[in-house]
Amino acid sequence: MSESVLIIGGGVCGIQAALDLGDKGMHVYMVEKQPSIGGRMALLDKVFPTNDCSICILAPKMITCFNHPNVDVLTCSEVEGLTGKAGNFKVKVRKRARHVDETKCTGCDACTQACALAGRIPDEWNQNFSMRGAAYIPFMQAVPRVAIIDEERCLLLSKGKCKSQCIEACQRGAIDFKQKEEVVTLEVGAVIVATGLDIYDPTPVTEYGYGRFANVIHSMEYERLINASGPTGGHLKRRSDDERPKRIAYIQCVGARDVRSGHPYCCSVCCMYATKDSMLAYMHHDDTENIIFYTDLRAFGRGFDEYIRRGADEYGITYVRARPGEITEDPETKNLYVWYDDTESGGVKKMEVDMVVLSTAFVPPPGIEKLGEALGVKMDEFDFFKAQDDLLAPMDTNVPGIYIAGACTRPMDVTDAVTQGGGAADRAAQTIKEFVGKKASAKAGSGR
Amino acid sequence: MAEPEIVAFVCNWCAYAGADYAGVSRIQYPTNVRLVRVMCSGRVEPSFILKAFEEGADGVLVGGCHEADCHYISGNLKARDQVESTKKLLTLLGLGADRLRIKWINANEGEVFASEIADFSKALKKLGPNPLAKAKKTAAAPPIDADEIMKRTDAYLCVECGKCTASCPVSRRDSEFSPRATVEQSLEKLHGELETSQQLWDCLTCRTCEERCPYNVRFSEFIRDSRVEALDLGLDGCPTQSGQMYSWMRMMAADGLTQERTSWLQGLKTKPKATAKSDVMFFVGCLPHFDVSHGHISPSSLDIARNSVAILNAAGITPVVLPDERCCGHDLLFAGDPARFEALAKKNAELFKAAGVKRIVVSCPEGYQTLASEYPKVVKGWDIDVMHISELLADRIDAGKLSFGNEVAKTVTYQDPCRLGRYMGVYDAPRRVLEAIPGVELVEMEHSGADAICCGVSSWVSCGATAKSIQMARLAEAKATGADVLVTACPKCQIHFRCALSGKVPGDRAAVDIPIEDFTSIVAEALGLVEAAKPAKAKTRSKS
Repeated sequence: MSESVLIIGGGVCGIQAALDLGDKGMHVYMVEKQPSIGGRMALLDKVFPTNDCSICILAPKMITCFNHPNVDVLTCSEVEGLTGKAGNFKVKVRKRARHVDETKCTGCDACTQACALAGRIPDEWNQNFSMRGAAYIPFMQAVPRVAIIDEERCLLLSKGKCKSQCIEACQRGAIDFKQKEEVVTLEVGAVIVATGLDIYDPTPVTEYGYGRFANVIHSMEYERLINASGPTGGHLKRRSDDERPKRIAYIQCVGARDVRSGHPYCCSVCCMYATKDSMLAYMHHDDTENIIFYTDLRAFGRGFDEYIRRGADEYGITYVRARPGEITEDPETKNLYVWYDDTESGGVKKMEVDMVVLSTAFVPPPGIEKLGEALGVKMDEFDFFKAQDDLLAPMDTNVPGIYIAGACTRPMDVTDAVTQGGGAADRAAQTIKEFVGKKASAKAGSGR
Repeated sequence: MAEPEIVAFVCNWCAYAGADYAGVSRIQYPTNVRLVRVMCSGRVEPSFILKAFEEGADGVLVGGCHEADCHYISGNLKARDQVESTKKLLTLLGLGADRLRIKWINANEGEVFASEIADFSKALKKLGPNPLAKAKKTAAAPPIDADEIMKRTDAYLCVECGKCTASCPVSRRDSEFSPRATVEQSLEKLHGELETSQQLWDCLTCRTCEERCPYNVRFSEFIRDSRVEALDLGLDGCPTQSGQMYSWMRMMAADGLTQERTSWLQGLKTKPKATAKSDVMFFVGCLPHFDVSHGHISPSSLDIARNSVAILNAAGITPVVLPDERCCGHDLLFAGDPARFEALAKKNAELFKAAGVKRIVVSCPEGYQTLASEYPKVVKGWDIDVMHISELLADRIDAGKLSFGNEVAKTVTYQDPCRLGRYMGVYDAPRRVLEAIPGVELVEMEHSGADAICCGVSSWVSCGATAKSIQMARLAEAKATGADVLVTACPKCQIHFRCALSGKVPGDRAAVDIPIEDFTSIVAEALGLVEAAKPAKAKTRSKS
């Protein structure tokens, strides 16, 4: 019997759940696969419909969560197995070696600069637009702000050959190449799954030329480019020539609402974020033309439709109802031609643009079905976690005591993820309370 | 037998006048001849002649002016050429060349006309009746209900996003044609308008739209099935060559025909081996017929058949080649005639069974797709494994059982035929084979694989200005790769591309002029089965 709650996933949804539970006085283990918590939201520039700075909202929550006396955060960790029942779960967690002592590291960046491979490994946190070393800190606002050594790339760890200048550079003696991965068993009373989402890789949609044409990017890449703390310092640049794009086309529903890619569902946020992205480009340079090719405008939330209208009226965004058939490239200028059938006026047209941003589908992270199996929680045909009842028990699963929240259940925006995080925290708290109550009454019974 | 039925196409100036002269002179001749007066014998196309036989004529006579007497200078010489090639088709079909005659008859040669008819009649009596005359007619399939078509092709799932139209090579050139608008029209219950529209026949059924449709609406099938009703209304989309290909396809679907179409196997330098009974069969398809009908554009159709058999021999296979093999039925199926398609499929299936065939190798992508995907739907108990020759070769190469001895120093680019690529998903096998040939460098066009652009014509019904524009764009892409040769695995792609280059070319010829070669010919060259083939450049139509 444990009064702790396990939260799998340290994105905004998991953080909300952890804070809610921690503030109630309950103990939380947060297991995060990545070296930093924060999830997708930490990498975004702004969030709709208020255009607030994403990290400005999230960073304080990340720090509060990490430093919360009732919350223990395990980074670089993954859940591998679960036994027991509600109130008495035993969870097997594999914690990968960071090779940096979290208690000693101050995040000073000395090791990352000293690393022999510094600036030579594509930085996945910046969508490979910049380079990092084998010793690196994921991103500027990472929590914990602790370096990590990439096991697969580090010359010492992978090839056994390196002068290991990082060790010398670190004044705190935090580098520890002897660190081994550990398997720990956590005892918890309830579990919240908040593993979030991944972005569909649009390479198979060959007609849009992603991967073939330098200036076709996807929306997550765009987020990093336009982000002031991103690889270009917030300057939008074309991959082909580092020039600023003046005419940008956004193509909606790439791999989403698409039976062919296996994602027939609507991702529910792309209409909004494409509008936001367009607004940002316009705010940076008001001579930027933004054209959004949409299938249906699904701006259903409060203030959403107004947001889109503002986009059209104040930011000059052009909305075209069409799914382009194909993108071709001018071999010399590397400009792109978007071929589309304007379904409102009819006829195939061709538009020349400097950059194309593909709004790609939200998909469950690869391998997530293993977690589903380990937990015994049912998943739907797309590998989203399945609620016990979408209407009346949206946070509950088929396993009592295990709850789900956020984008691991379906594509959703930040607001919904936070709401669900709060909801799941409450359901988990209720489970704990029931068992604490039972224990108390059992104790009282035995005392008599 | 009763008096044989003769259809005589006679020119207005000489032969008709000669027949008239026989009449006014009271010269006796058999009464079983039906005269069709044409302005010039040169107007008589193979399709006219084939149609007459299809309808049961026992013999056809073409009558024209004596040489040098033609009122249109050389129409009669054209007629002679046409008759010669049609005779070859009649031989292939098993009807025999002797059922067709051409005769120069002057306006005052009433006797000549009468004696020719009498003689022809006598000869036809010896040959016996046209076996097609009494053959049971295949009843046309009833039109498919619009709602049923919509359901079976998932057209109801369409969200009208226009991705299809924006992808369509036809829509880009012809604003009247729009898959999106066509489906939309049907969603609005206006399906009837499609049946009588030209748009129904403009679709290439190339599946580019389907490949990209987010909701898997099967537009090609939608078009194909909608054509059944159009055909029922007597609209056939005006096929090229006045539909001579459709005549021979329909004839093969009828009972009573015994073909002899394997003469191409004889007298070869390399002597490919074929047999009558074996596990493995080579399906020849239309190649012997194309050799006749399109020989002036694409003279190498039979090489594809010969090379295929030689390649199979080199791979240790002595395939069955059937003298009475029927048309696969692909074009009939796509032109709205599923009943005759089914008749062909059943006839073929019986022949395959009788020869003990367990696996069929096909070099033509249309034949491959039809046998592999369509036959199982209409032939009960179909259990034959069908593969494209490129798949067989790729398997052998991967297993280390086949290698190429000859170097072929060529840069090649590869045209993905619609049926092989988008229909059957075979993109890699031909490329793997080409890349395994020493000396061959494979370069890709701007559009390749699933995004490849169609050769512009399908089922002989969509030839025209749009087709030519598509062909020019595609040939320009091929030329831009810098390749020495455009390799295609489809004899029809080859014919259509060569045809596009055979006449005047809009714009700069140098930007589109590229030799076109079949996949099998480059493979045969690499295996040392033929002398280094000079890629036959599409030549301009010879003056005849």
